[in-house]
Amino acid sequence: MTSIAVPLRATAPSRSNWFTQTGQVTRRWLISSIRQAWGPMMSLIQPVIWIVLFGQVFHSLGSLPQFGTAGYIDYLVPGILMMTVLYSGAWAGTGSIDDINSGVMDQYLTSPIARSAIITGQLLQQLAINLAQSLVVLGIGWLAGARYPGGLGGMLVALGVATLLATIFCCCSIAVALMSRSQIALISLSQLIVLPATFLSTTMMPAALMPDWVRDVSRGNPMTWAVELGRGGLSGTYPDAGWWQVGGLVVLAVLAFTWAVRSIRAYQRAM
Amino acid sequence: MPENAIVAHDLVKVYRGRGRRPEVRALDGLSLTVPAGRVFGLLGPNGAGKSTTTKILTTLSHATSGEAAVDGHDVRTAPDAVRAAIGYVSQGAGTDPILTADENLQIVARMRGIAPREGRARAMQLLEEFGLAEASRRAVSTFSGGMRRRLDVAAALVHRPRVLFLDEPTTGLDPEARAAMWAEIRRLSGEEALTVILTTHYMEEADRLADELLLVNRGRAIVQGTPEELKAALHGDSLRVSLIEPDPAAVRAAVARVAGLRDLVVEASGVDGVLAARTDDASAAVGAVIAALDAAGIRFGQVAASHPTLDDVYLHFVGHTFGDATAPAVTEGVAA
Repeated sequence: MTSIAVPLRATAPSRSNWFTQTGQVTRRWLISSIRQAWGPMMSLIQPVIWIVLFGQVFHSLGSLPQFGTAGYIDYLVPGILMMTVLYSGAWAGTGSIDDINSGVMDQYLTSPIARSAIITGQLLQQLAINLAQSLVVLGIGWLAGARYPGGLGGMLVALGVATLLATIFCCCSIAVALMSRSQIALISLSQLIVLPATFLSTTMMPAALMPDWVRDVSRGNPMTWAVELGRGGLSGTYPDAGWWQVGGLVVLAVLAFTWAVRSIRAYQRAM
Repeated sequence: MPENAIVAHDLVKVYRGRGRRPEVRALDGLSLTVPAGRVFGLLGPNGAGKSTTTKILTTLSHATSGEAAVDGHDVRTAPDAVRAAIGYVSQGAGTDPILTADENLQIVARMRGIAPREGRARAMQLLEEFGLAEASRRAVSTFSGGMRRRLDVAAALVHRPRVLFLDEPTTGLDPEARAAMWAEIRRLSGEEALTVILTTHYMEEADRLADELLLVNRGRAIVQGTPEELKAALHGDSLRVSLIEPDPAAVRAAVARVAGLRDLVVEASGVDGVLAARTDDASAAVGAVIAALDAAGIRFGQVAASHPTLDDVYLHFVGHTFGDATAPAVTEGVAA
């Protein structure tokens, strides 16, 4: 475009700051979550079912030497913790599609608010739900017999890693939602990714018991990094590659967040 | 505010084709000037380019080429300044159905930089003005279509914008809710001195509300003026005949010898059709057209003669009746 041929204003009207914008987006999502409590409630019940189900089905695996002396439930709880936030995060984009369909997204985009505030606001609500889920997993795991020798510090490490993993998958889900604008596309893609991400990792099975090719794939799987870091935090014995894994998760979280923010532009280009 | 609230030059919007989907040229060099403080109607059939124009002017979408300024701010280089100056009511809703009306307005207020106490007061003021005070603590999902539309407009006014975009604001509303919305739009342009950009495909709505109109068709501006100016430019009366299973060529041949018909158009769409024309002597033309159609064995229904309407303005400038721009009917006719 060339410069406009009409007198232009030199100054822009005032606007709210980024923190207020983000806070209000989060506030809207949280009110919505509380009013539709069945959604968050179901997401809290789901990990309970997983712990009971997988804990019982794979209980006898705990006697194998590859699981050490702690038993399968100690091995399983960090895996279920990460699996819970992975599944929950992968569905986050459905909220974005609801916003597109209801017209709320267009209201955001015609308001002078930062695109990053739109993403961050939704992410914070999702992370709050993930935190509640994570605490439920740790509590149910404890009741099921798991113990956390890593102490409070170790639990905080596990929760921090779960937050990083949730950020990655929430942001990817939001990005796919904004670009596809289709619930079916988002759900199909989520299902395509979350199951392989879970079973091609050490979520339920140690690397030593995996076929060679699965073990090779699992080493580069962010889900494995998160599970091993979480397991290290709860057990008090961190993996040798711990710092690399943390670094990898941080880099992926930053990239996913950037992708989600940029996807708003892709959404607008299609309008 | 500048003398003109909006100035746009030569806007082009091309949606690239993908696979079997062909490229779509939604705007094809559209220009417009909107004087400040008036209700400006963008009138055209579905697919004419009205909503695309609105999306570019509200910064939702970018023009492929061309330039536009809203309230003195370039939409491309100063989008946040444009956003701060406008309110936008889209074709769908714009409020969260799970939240209450009051919560929706307060959140918009805070996002727009209004202090909490002032935001609460502004929300209450708007809810009272729009007749929603009693329902302020109800979830928006329980609102009727008319209530929800009024809330959408209230939400767009929270920050006291200088330019308000209303994209098809009465689509889907019952007659009572539509009348209430019309009264509200009139009030806004009068008491609040807002510039209102109203996109609509309802002729009556444009005629009643717009101080000035731009007729849009196939992504181009056709003609601009007040409804009165546009209608006055067409001299004489309008004649319309509803046709049953018409053959446009046969209808044209039948009325070819009727004296004094201008802007003759014959359209067929499925089993229905219409003959539209203008004439200086409606009483003589009605009888002559009926006789000519009877003589040719052409079946027809209602015959009506009236002073020119915006329908006739559209017919005169575009060459066919007001329908879906993306699905034109079979048309035969030549403007005289």
